[in-house]
Order: sequence, then structure tokens, then C-alpha cells
Amino acid sequence: MRRRRPAVVAMLAAAALTLAGCGLGSEDSGGSGGAKPTVDANAQVTGEVSFQTWALKPKFTSYVEGVIKAFEAKYPGTKVTWLDQPGDGYDKKVLSQASAGQLPDVTNLPPDFALSLAKQNMLLDVAAADPKIKDEYVEGGVQAYQYQGMDGTFGYPWYLNTDIDYWNATKFAAAGLDVKNPPKTFDELLAAAKVMHDKTGGKEYLMSRLPGIGDFTNAGVKILSDDGKKFVFNTPEAAALLDKYRDAYKAGYMPRDILTNEYLGNSKLFTQSKVAWTTGGGNAIQDFVKDNPSLKGKVVPSPALDTPPLYVQGLSVSAKTKNQAAAIALARFVTNAENQAAFAKIVNIFPSTKASASDPYFSKSDGTPESDAKVLAFESLAKAKVLQPPVISGATNDFIGQQISLAIAGKISSQAALDAAVAKANQLLTQ
Amino acid sequence: MRHQRWFTPWVLVIPALTWLLVFNLWPSINTVILSFTNAKPLGGGTFVGLKNFETLLHDEQLRWALLNSVIYMVVCLPFLTVLPLLLAVLVEKKLPGITFFRTAFYTPVVASAVVVALIWQWILDDRGLVNGLAEKLGVISGPLPFLSDQWLLLLSAISLTIWKGLGYYMIIYLAALGNVGRELHQAAAVDGAGPLRRFVHVTIPGVRGTMILISILISVSALRVFSELFILSGGKGGPGGRDNSVVMLIQQYSQGFEGNLGYASALSIVLFFVTVVPMLILARLNRRGAEA
Repeated sequence: MRRRRPAVVAMLAAAALTLAGCGLGSEDSGGSGGAKPTVDANAQVTGEVSFQTWALKPKFTSYVEGVIKAFEAKYPGTKVTWLDQPGDGYDKKVLSQASAGQLPDVTNLPPDFALSLAKQNMLLDVAAADPKIKDEYVEGGVQAYQYQGMDGTFGYPWYLNTDIDYWNATKFAAAGLDVKNPPKTFDELLAAAKVMHDKTGGKEYLMSRLPGIGDFTNAGVKILSDDGKKFVFNTPEAAALLDKYRDAYKAGYMPRDILTNEYLGNSKLFTQSKVAWTTGGGNAIQDFVKDNPSLKGKVVPSPALDTPPLYVQGLSVSAKTKNQAAAIALARFVTNAENQAAFAKIVNIFPSTKASASDPYFSKSDGTPESDAKVLAFESLAKAKVLQPPVISGATNDFIGQQISLAIAGKISSQAALDAAVAKANQLLTQ
Repeated sequence: MRHQRWFTPWVLVIPALTWLLVFNLWPSINTVILSFTNAKPLGGGTFVGLKNFETLLHDEQLRWALLNSVIYMVVCLPFLTVLPLLLAVLVEKKLPGITFFRTAFYTPVVASAVVVALIWQWILDDRGLVNGLAEKLGVISGPLPFLSDQWLLLLSAISLTIWKGLGYYMIIYLAALGNVGRELHQAAAVDGAGPLRRFVHVTIPGVRGTMILISILISVSALRVFSELFILSGGKGGPGGRDNSVVMLIQQYSQGFEGNLGYASALSIVLFFVTVVPMLILARLNRRGAEA
């Protein structure tokens, strides 16, 4: 018996080694106002500064290097070290940098990434050093980096995007629908989905996605309480929206597999010509045709249903930067109207500066569907809104999606699904 | 050289010991510590006592995940313990062209789990190969919801795991069969035993230890299943998350900047104990068998 105890301990320890290990981070600072800069926008700009982008190499290497060269020429004595991280696992890379206290001086962070870092006082309130930010950048872009319950603006808006609608003209014609007059609201979409289903004997689908938080926002449902501390989207209006989806699903207007589809499932199905509607950015037609050349000439764009979503990318400045003046100057320089416009023209995204609004490149179409789509997306930005609050974490989003799919499948009532989703979301928010 | 100092062996062991402590033991201890906190990736969090464990007692998602993991293990265990042995016995024979079959059975093992799961997703979806063929043959009137029904999705993932695991365990059995004495088979044959009796009375006892080892490996893998369910369910764990496995839950809770590391660690502890139980049962069975 005596020899057994060490053996059991050793076995347990060996088995425990297979468990995932996680590093303890720093103590929660509990800050709610973010880190304030100690320099203003007019401080002397010199010295070294690091700049991290997200998957811009090698496609946009020459553009970024050109901007960096121009910055170094404008501010003699500065030197920019450019780091570009791969697209996959960017959040993990930023997390490890932040945990190790090695966040680059200027980093490309979308608003939800920036929120977590700002809560830990790891980002500078750039508006405190540079009050003109509100005058020079579009309102939605700036607001994306301002968070409920926190004072400050935690990033310069860099570039924007939105989704518009895309329709398959051939499928519309086969169902007797007019692609030149596509649905403009969710209710019109439902009606068209019924027509397509009925006219094709249930062989063709128009809709192919489950609703999400953005659809609730679009339907006028309040997602968060005013103080940002509680989720409140379990309203009768949200339940009514889910009921509409459930009825459409039950009637066979949507493929059954959407219950387990990935986020981009509807665009995949559209590309495969399995459904007649999807949403996508202003340059999505090129991707559809690249992946399925038979779609060439068949894709017709139109403005997004109801309120278009606003997607924002920005540049944040590390609170630990040893060169605040140069870091702020670099973030401002990369995101200025001239550099953003140049970038937007090679990437097919949209600039976030007010000065770019009158650029004819974005506002005039050459008559092709691709160009129409770009102009439609650009015009949509004026009324686009961030439809999903950045406080929604991955686990919260997953749970909400699971409850929604249960309701759509008819396993539980819409209200029960929403109540469960809100209860879990609130539990995760306060943990 | 003869007068070796007492600390010399310890000096030699230090690099390996350091590696073991820092990269193996510490993360495990850290997981236990984290399970008593509300830690997030960017904050150590605070001590919350047993709160995470209390929460998981009432967590419906965990109940489904545990049920799925147990079903996974119970179904996979007999299939993956017996079928690879039969395959190994078949391909062990030195016949012309047998290498082709060995390779064919092993091919799914070397294919990436993600690629395999994606291919199966295409095969099983409503307009996929299986439903299309069955509809054309008139076997079914409408597509079977392999990927949108809670139980069919689980069954599809289990089938995928069995299909992918056959070749792997077959190779282990092939190695074990090489150690079963040929003279035993010859003696049994001389005594009048047919192929079936030789299989039951010579082959199976000869690979008994390997069968136990394979059973343990299968149990642990089945309880820790991730890729198959993740891909087939589009990362969502099926309708309502009811096709989640415990590992998928851990992944869901720990992902992103706002990941709940404390709760995910508590789930890891649960998985640890769930995994250890069948290991202990099978190890005890092995010992009893050896003593008998």
C-alpha cells in the first residue's frame, strides 16, 4: 500500500499535465476612465516608435512603407518600426503582447479589442491629447472607440466598411421577382422569400441566415441598459422578430442547415448559387465572381435592409509608450484624410475622415455592378451604425446564437430563448 | 571520475526538471488556481472561492456536453476497439496487393481533422452527397437533417471519429499481432481449432494488453473530442449548443479578450476528473485480467 500512494499522485499529476494551462495576467486595475496622455498634440515629435498592423503584408507593403517614409520625412529624427501580424489569431497575439506589457506604441485594434485593453488602462485617451479628433473624423467612427461607462476615446478611426445587399438576378427571374426592385425591409424580404419558395416548389431559397444582435438593433430593440451594465434585449419586439424567422424556417423558406452554419455561411451559400440573397462589403462582387465565375453578370447590389451596419478599424496608442508624442503623431498621420483616401482606393474600404466625403472616387459610379456596389456602400455609411455593442464577448455571442437557433428550430419559445440568452449574457458580463 | 560528487546527477537533471516544472507542471497548477478566480485574459481577477464550481453545477450546457461526451465514449469504445483488430488481422496476411489496403485504411489518419470534417460536412448537408443519392434512389422523400438535428449531428460526428480512427488503431494492433507467437497458432491448428477459435483463444489473449491500452486511448480521446463536433456544427455546438463537448465549452468560454478563464479552468478540472474515471476503471480491469 505504501508504494501505491506516490504512484497515484504521479498518475494524477501526469494526467493533470494534459489540462490546458493558462497564464495569470496582471491584477485588474479597475480603471474606468482610461489612461490620460501626458503630452499634447503639439509636443515635439522625435525618436523611435513601433507600429503594428493586421495582415497588410505582402499585399500592401509598399503602401505602408510609403506612409512610414512620409512620416519620417515630415518629422526628422523619428524612426518607425513596422510589425505586421498574420490575419489568423491576431486577437491572441495582441492579448499576449498586452499581458507581457509589450503592446506596440501604435496598434491596429478594432473597437471590441480596444475596449478590453482600455478597461485595463492599457490605451491612451487620444482625444485628451488631440481634441480635434471629433472635428476631423466621422461621428460613427469616433463613437466606436467611446464606451459606455468610460471616459475617453481610445483610438483614431482608420477605415470603415458596411454591408449592402446582393441578389442573384437569375434566381429572381426564375421566381418571377423583379431584381431591379429588391426588398428594402425585413418584412419585404420575408414576402419575397415566400414567393421564391412557392414559385420554385421549395427548390430555391432567398434567405439563409439566422438573426443576431444586429437584427434586434435594426428592429429597434434596445440591447443594453443606459448605464451599459445589463443586457435588456428580451423584449416582446425581439421575440416577435424571432417568431417571424421561426415561421419562415418552419415553412421551408430557409435551408435547414443554417442552424449550424458559420458566421459567413450565407455568403458561402450565395457564392455556391444555393441562395439568392446575401450581404457583403462594397467589394464583395469581385469575391463572388472570383470564387464562382458563373455568377459574373448575375449579381445585383442594393442598399442594406433597414439600418446598415458600421464596421470600424482604428489605431490605438499604448498607454505604456515611451514616446507618446511620436505615437500620437503617427496614429494621426496614418489616419489622416490623404493617407486614408489613398489606402481606401487600393483596398476597397472607406475612409473615416470627413474631408474624404466629397472624393468622387467613392461617390461616382462608372455604371458597372462592382462600381455601383462601391458607391452604394459609401453612401450607406452616412446612416450606418454599429449594430452590435463591443461588450458582447465571444462566449456571449455563442450562447445567444445557440438560443436563437433553438427558438428558430421550434424547440423552445422565442421569449424563453431570449430570457435565457439575456440571463447568461448578464452573468458573463458581471463575471 | 570514480569520486563522483553527490550533486552531479542533480545538475544533469536540472534542465529537464526546469522544463517539466515550468512548461508542464506549472500550467496545470495554474489552471487549478485560476478555477477559483474570475480571471480574464487581461486581468488576474479576484478570488471567488467555489463560485465557478457552483455555477457549473447548474450549467445546462455542461450537462449536455457531459452527456454528449459520455455517449461519444460509449459508442466509440466498442467500435474502435474491435473493428481495427479485425482489420489488422485481415491486412496482416502477406497477400499480393495487401499494401494497398493497409495504405487505404490508414489514409484518413494522416488527413487533417479539419479537412476531413469539412468534407463530411459537404457530404452530409441537406444538399450533400448522401441526401442527394438517397433522394435520387427514392430511399427518402426529403433530406435527412444530419447537421441540423441534435442527435443526428452527434451520430454523424461519432461516425466520422470511428472512420478516422480505424486506421490508427489498426496500426497499433498490427504491431501487437507481430508479437503473438506463430507457434501458438500452429499448435492450435494442430489441435483442430478453426480460424474463429484461433482468433478467440489465441489472437485476442495475445493482444489483450494492447486492447486495454487502446480502450484507454479511445476513452480519453472520445471525452476530449473537439474538431469533429466543432466543424460539423459550424462552431456553434449544434442547435441550442446541445451538441457541445466539454472541450468545446472550454474553448467557448476562454476565447477572446473577455474570455472567462476562471470558469473555463473550472470546466477543465471537471474534464480532468471525467477523463480519469474510465482510465482508472480500465487500468483496474487490466490488472485483474493479468492477475487471473
